[in-house]
Amino acid sequence: MIELEEISKTYKRPTGEPVVALSDISLRIERGEFVSIVGASGSGKSTLMNIIGLLDLPTAGRYSWDGADVTTLDPNRQAEMRNKKIGFVFQAFHLLPRTTALENVELPLLYSDRRSIKDLSRRALEAVNLTDRIHHRPSELSGGQQQRVAIARALVNEPDLLLADEPTGNLDRASALEIISIFQTLNRAGRTIVLITHDREIASFAGRIVKLERGCVVSHEAAGESRASTLELRSTGQPRAAVPTQTP
Amino acid sequence: MKNSRLAKHSLQMMRRYKLRSSFMMLGSVMGIAALTFVISVGQSAQRKILKTVGQMFGDSGIVIHDGGGEMMGGPRGPGSRLKIDDIAAIAKELPGIEVWDPMQTTTATVRHGGSADNAIVRGESERWPQVWNRTASRGDLFDETAVTGSARVAFIGETVARELFGNDDPVGADIQIGSVPFKVIGTLEPWGTDPHGMDRDNEVIVPISTLMRRLTNVDTISAAKLVVTDAARSGEMKAEIKRILRERHGLAAGQPNDFSIITATEIRRMVGQVQRVLFFYLPLAASIALIVGGIVSASLMLASVNERVAEIGLRRAVGARTQDIRLQFLLETTLTMLSGGLGGVVFGYAVAQLGASRMHLDGVNPWPAALFGIFASSLVGFLAGVIPALRAARLHPAEALR
Repeated sequence: MIELEEISKTYKRPTGEPVVALSDISLRIERGEFVSIVGASGSGKSTLMNIIGLLDLPTAGRYSWDGADVTTLDPNRQAEMRNKKIGFVFQAFHLLPRTTALENVELPLLYSDRRSIKDLSRRALEAVNLTDRIHHRPSELSGGQQQRVAIARALVNEPDLLLADEPTGNLDRASALEIISIFQTLNRAGRTIVLITHDREIASFAGRIVKLERGCVVSHEAAGESRASTLELRSTGQPRAAVPTQTP
Repeated sequence: MKNSRLAKHSLQMMRRYKLRSSFMMLGSVMGIAALTFVISVGQSAQRKILKTVGQMFGDSGIVIHDGGGEMMGGPRGPGSRLKIDDIAAIAKELPGIEVWDPMQTTTATVRHGGSADNAIVRGESERWPQVWNRTASRGDLFDETAVTGSARVAFIGETVARELFGNDDPVGADIQIGSVPFKVIGTLEPWGTDPHGMDRDNEVIVPISTLMRRLTNVDTISAAKLVVTDAARSGEMKAEIKRILRERHGLAAGQPNDFSIITATEIRRMVGQVQRVLFFYLPLAASIALIVGGIVSASLMLASVNERVAEIGLRRAVGARTQDIRLQFLLETTLTMLSGGLGGVVFGYAVAQLGASRMHLDGVNPWPAALFGIFASSLVGFLAGVIPALRAARLHPAEALR
């Protein structure tokens, strides 16, 4: 579904000296996959997620979505892609304060042409088991519940790809497992998920783990079956059986 | 569809940040309330002043007052020297005086049966209806013989008639002014309130000779009005009148006038000054309030953009285009200021109504002020929103989410 070919990203420090965040990353993610991207802080995983999520552009390389180059799209078309095809889940939840769960979930629909906003949002909240909290504000919800609202918001427009950046980073263990199990359920139902984390254990719930180090992909392993095997980067095109076999 | 959703959403955001919205609104409430008040009361007051000035001076009146000093220039100096003969001499010497009327006034208790009323009593010549542009609503005007013969006849205003006679016809009835008996020969056409707030229908008009001899016992008059044939020459006429009066009063060079003269032209100039205050300086002050409100809003909105960086990043992530972000912040400031403006219109109009009823003005029309208020507050809101909106839209989504 998405393919990154030799993607590089270089920032400039205020002093003018360049910093390489990503260097020649090639990665292919098929529809229905559950992929974890792991790495220490500074390894470039957030930059990679920004590029996959069309929040930032690479300085070199080709990024295609269903075969079409998306880096050359004009910013409005990219915004439309984010709205229709990508659902974001963040470490800090990023829910609007003083705004109910339902209204938070409605937010992506505000920028789309879809009708019956309330019904769609309610259904998304049902999918994350929060029907009894729809009129609660973020301050009245636990961390896990807030992240579930954020997942509902990411799902409300039925995107092709769910992109989660450290979704369990601010949560206790029980809540983290709850969130991961929601991801697994979604993936079993056919949703493509890219999970960015520094936590190996959380990463191992995915079907495939991509490891980043200093802006480069260093290993590529199937988490469930052959954890140790490092696969050839450019040729991992097969969709995987998405249900992880491992339990914590 | 999308834009109307965004507008609705902006209203929600406005309600969610109540304190910030209230501070933003305050400036536009104050500015627009002041503007509404000035515009609606100002228009009504202007009509009233022009009407009164027209009634009192006409196009070509010159009024001479006993006592020196300038109009609106502090208290009048000592007087009691202006006489009917002075005015008669002016009328005789100066060509171009159409008609003139001397006047002396006093206040007195007017009685009929058991009822009494404190009224202004004016002594006038038989020419007063012409000179002061007033008429009788009932009965007849007094003639020259009544003035030369100091007849005890009186015209009463509507207020006096109501106080003394209720619904009865006063014409032909006997009244007492002070302790002197008079016969009512007619009632005055209603006039209303003058710019000082005096009820000009609480008046009694009697022949000037009767007033001077029987009521006040003086041989001077308080004022006289001359109607000239050519209003354009009233400046020259004023100089001539001044020369004649100084000569007749034996004033040496350097001695101040013991009379004052105002022409219709000068009055109109004074009204013009009042109008400038009403329609230039007050709206200017109100506009400054509005501009200050706009600046406060702009800075509150800028602070809000800084505070909501993550929110802006999130919106971009879920599909907002730069123009959607720009529109949202513009809408938030514009709608907030507009709501404040609407509040200001209502508040200003309420105060205007109160003020108008106190000042005996009528026909306060709120619509020009309301339309202007809506327009002005939206404009200020829009302008105040431009910089915050541009800054919000410029934020890089990835950096905003960091």
